[in-house]
Amino acid sequence: MDSSRRNFLKGTAGIGTLAALEINLGANAADIINNGGDKSVFSFCEMCSSRCPIEAKIVDGKCKFIQGNKHYSTTGTSVCARGGAGVNQLYDKQRIVKPLIRVGERGSGKWRKASWEEALKYCADKLGEIAKTHGPESVVFTAKSSESHKQMTNFACSLGSPNIFSHWSCCPITYQVAFPHTFGGSLSRDYSKAKYIVNFGHNLFEGIDIKYTKKLAKTAAKEDTKLLVLEPRFSVVAAKADEWLPVKPGTDLAFVMALIHVWIRDSKYDKKFVEEYTIGIDEVKKAVKDTTPKWQEKITGIKSTDVERIADEIYKAAPKVIIDWGHKTTTTRAEYQRTRAIFIANALMGNIEKEGGLYFGKKAKTFNDLVGEELFPTLNDPNKAFKVPKTPRIDGAGEKGSKNYFIARKHGVLMDIAPAILNEKPYPVKAWVNTRFNHLINVVGEETTIKAIKKLDFILSVDIYMNDFTQFADVVLPESTYLERDESIQDKSGSLPAYYMRQKAIEPIGDTKNGYDIFRELARIMKIDQNYTWNTIDEFRMQQAKGNDKLLAALIKDGYVEWKVPKLYYREKKYVSKFVEKFPHASTFVDENGEMSSKVKFKTPSGKIELFSQQVEEALPGEGCIHPANMDVYDGHELCLMSGKTPIHTNGHTQNVKVLNDMMSESPIWINPRTAQKRGLKTGDRVLVENKFAKSYAKVMVTEGIREDSLFVYHGFGHISSGLKRTYGVGLNQSKLLNPAYGAVCSTMVTNVGVDIKKA
Amino acid sequence: MKKYVMIHDENLCIGCQACSVACRNENDTSDGVYRLQVHAEMKGVFPNLKTNFLRHSCVMCENAPCVEVCPTKASFQTDEGIVLLDESICVSCKYCVLACPYDARYVDPITKNIGKCTFCFTNRVAGGEQPACVTVCPTDALTFGDANDYNSEVSKVIATNSIKYPKSELGTKPKLGFVENKKGGRYE
Repeated sequence: MDSSRRNFLKGTAGIGTLAALEINLGANAADIINNGGDKSVFSFCEMCSSRCPIEAKIVDGKCKFIQGNKHYSTTGTSVCARGGAGVNQLYDKQRIVKPLIRVGERGSGKWRKASWEEALKYCADKLGEIAKTHGPESVVFTAKSSESHKQMTNFACSLGSPNIFSHWSCCPITYQVAFPHTFGGSLSRDYSKAKYIVNFGHNLFEGIDIKYTKKLAKTAAKEDTKLLVLEPRFSVVAAKADEWLPVKPGTDLAFVMALIHVWIRDSKYDKKFVEEYTIGIDEVKKAVKDTTPKWQEKITGIKSTDVERIADEIYKAAPKVIIDWGHKTTTTRAEYQRTRAIFIANALMGNIEKEGGLYFGKKAKTFNDLVGEELFPTLNDPNKAFKVPKTPRIDGAGEKGSKNYFIARKHGVLMDIAPAILNEKPYPVKAWVNTRFNHLINVVGEETTIKAIKKLDFILSVDIYMNDFTQFADVVLPESTYLERDESIQDKSGSLPAYYMRQKAIEPIGDTKNGYDIFRELARIMKIDQNYTWNTIDEFRMQQAKGNDKLLAALIKDGYVEWKVPKLYYREKKYVSKFVEKFPHASTFVDENGEMSSKVKFKTPSGKIELFSQQVEEALPGEGCIHPANMDVYDGHELCLMSGKTPIHTNGHTQNVKVLNDMMSESPIWINPRTAQKRGLKTGDRVLVENKFAKSYAKVMVTEGIREDSLFVYHGFGHISSGLKRTYGVGLNQSKLLNPAYGAVCSTMVTNVGVDIKKA
Repeated sequence: MKKYVMIHDENLCIGCQACSVACRNENDTSDGVYRLQVHAEMKGVFPNLKTNFLRHSCVMCENAPCVEVCPTKASFQTDEGIVLLDESICVSCKYCVLACPYDARYVDPITKNIGKCTFCFTNRVAGGEQPACVTVCPTDALTFGDANDYNSEVSKVIATNSIKYPKSELGTKPKLGFVENKKGGRYE
């Protein structure tokens, strides 16, 4: 612990609400500071975006072992392979640990080392000059999600550029857009108590998020619950299912619309719930009039009798059912309507705010309102001072009349960056600032992006490895890894209010800096830092905590704090009465029927669940209600190439981490034996994969675990940066082959694409 | 006397290799060799499929062939029945590697000593902790503890499941058991 934090802890006044709420502070702050060479630091992970709480064990000053944070009861000490490999990334000799300035041609890999002072000054001068000559909007900003995105956003807003992008459009954007349209906000899934779960390739057993993975695994293993999985591949989640339907890629929407057809046809849905809490059922009835089980049979390959049986099974299990929208699943250009159809199916089963169904996450403020006093500490947001400039963006995100109208202006549409640079429309782009995002592996059109990159005047990349995008930078600023960084307090509330915080386990290795300091310093040098109310991360945290030293001390000690109060589902009488017993003030919200229906609010324009959305219909006619179009992902080819996650790697990020690379060094293409035989292919053969967008080589793995008309690769291979010595040139980057046309309304990148395959 | 037993529930195991990474970091395992691996084995013909996740590590035999054949008594059993190796008297003759019916021992490519799973006995269990693999398992597929304590978690798992022991026909009496996978292959 550094002295500034120590001083801060001494200097702040205690508010003292926590003691009453069963947080065991144990040692005082001074004890936490002086804990010698061997210690544990409680933090949270960054080997992927799930951000599971962790404990980093330090032995003789060296981070030796990572496990889950025992203070977070949901995951306990669990951590996945990637999370455990955090120490191997930390001590990897291939990390970048000194600022670099390009000396050779862009992308040639020729650099010279520089001091931070020189490198930051160089970036400030370049960015200042470009902003002055071409306007600040000529600088685009991309980031991995979470805190790096926030720090970069603050800087971009300070500079005056509206062109801020996160990884959303190549990942979770569909539900990020469909949720507000349908429910006005996000819902959580109560996997533990569900009796029936329908899963559309939400492969939590390979794309691991421990809090969900653990619950789903235990529910799936129970005898009296059912997990139904629709997926073209026999994935791990399919292997754990009670029933697996190898659906044709891209056609899940037809299956869901057939389910809805059956429920409406037979009047088997929660009519009382639909009447009370939703609008648009008549439009849905019209939309599914012809989407019969028989109709979907030809599209999905699933027997109509199976659809009839499943519709009945789900209805009987309701409301303890979850029809899971997934994270990023079988994407097609109809992805938005697929997700909307799933949301509608849930609403018809009346599972909202029900045990074993879906519920709204409840933060400290919600609980304070319920209990009638400020019992749970709330946070300030010092980032609030930074506003995205109202000037037009290159992708038109959030702008009336744009096809990207519904996309948040802090997240944007990544696929629009390269075309905007190349066409100079709507205006020229001259510079690209990136923090920890590997655009070349994760976004469609590698060749187009490289062409665009070469056209730019200046590229800055903040990174920890010489990743594929970073190798094209003019300046590389080495960020400390998450095990060497202190970061802000994050809200971790789910069914109960909770916070957690990233903390450095060891002092930074080499000459690396925290993202907070990098962007803060850059803004100071450029004299655009008037909105920054902090100089250090400690000051930032102090502002967040509103001077609540007990909250901060608890977070420093345990990395995670939660309040053990009764859980609450507003539409479950037994939960409501238990809650009121503990917090009598909450009785003011209880209805005659014993529920808290007045608290079941939806922040949509109508205040109800919108099965039909007028605002979407007005902006994009025809999209207001579900409709079964744009499901084709074959584009005339016999085969569809799909991609997905492995539990051993994260997107384009971890392939070069030694221990993970040792376990999985390549991602061959899955192909069915009958499909392989037709083409004379066997396991280990080199093949050419091609379509009208690109061609690429790959290795073959013949397996029964996939449909005859489908191919599969784990995403994240095919790296083109020679700085990634262990993985350079190995495997296929399927993003190269993707169709640049993206989904309507949510502008999602479509990760299924038609291809041909032949022996090379 | 304690009897340490580990149970691997194949229904909960998702083959994510968290155990394997934790094992490597906890025990500083050399590159190229493994104390522990989980093998995925897909069986059947589309769409009649099943994937089994099989743990491969030392099974801690009660009648341990590796201990029997060791000429220097470097391979030995603790009072709790944990099979360990005393590197100071091991001459690396590799007899134990050959004798092990579970293929669980290897020659360390750097130290040339014999390596294998120890249930993390000296580095964790003796200090009251769980083995590294058990600690991190994302789905709690591994249970470890004293089978002679009827209140222990592992005793409860043994009491409520049918436990299989690998190659039990050999009479080696392993203390690593498993709950067999029941999922998949619905068309069978």
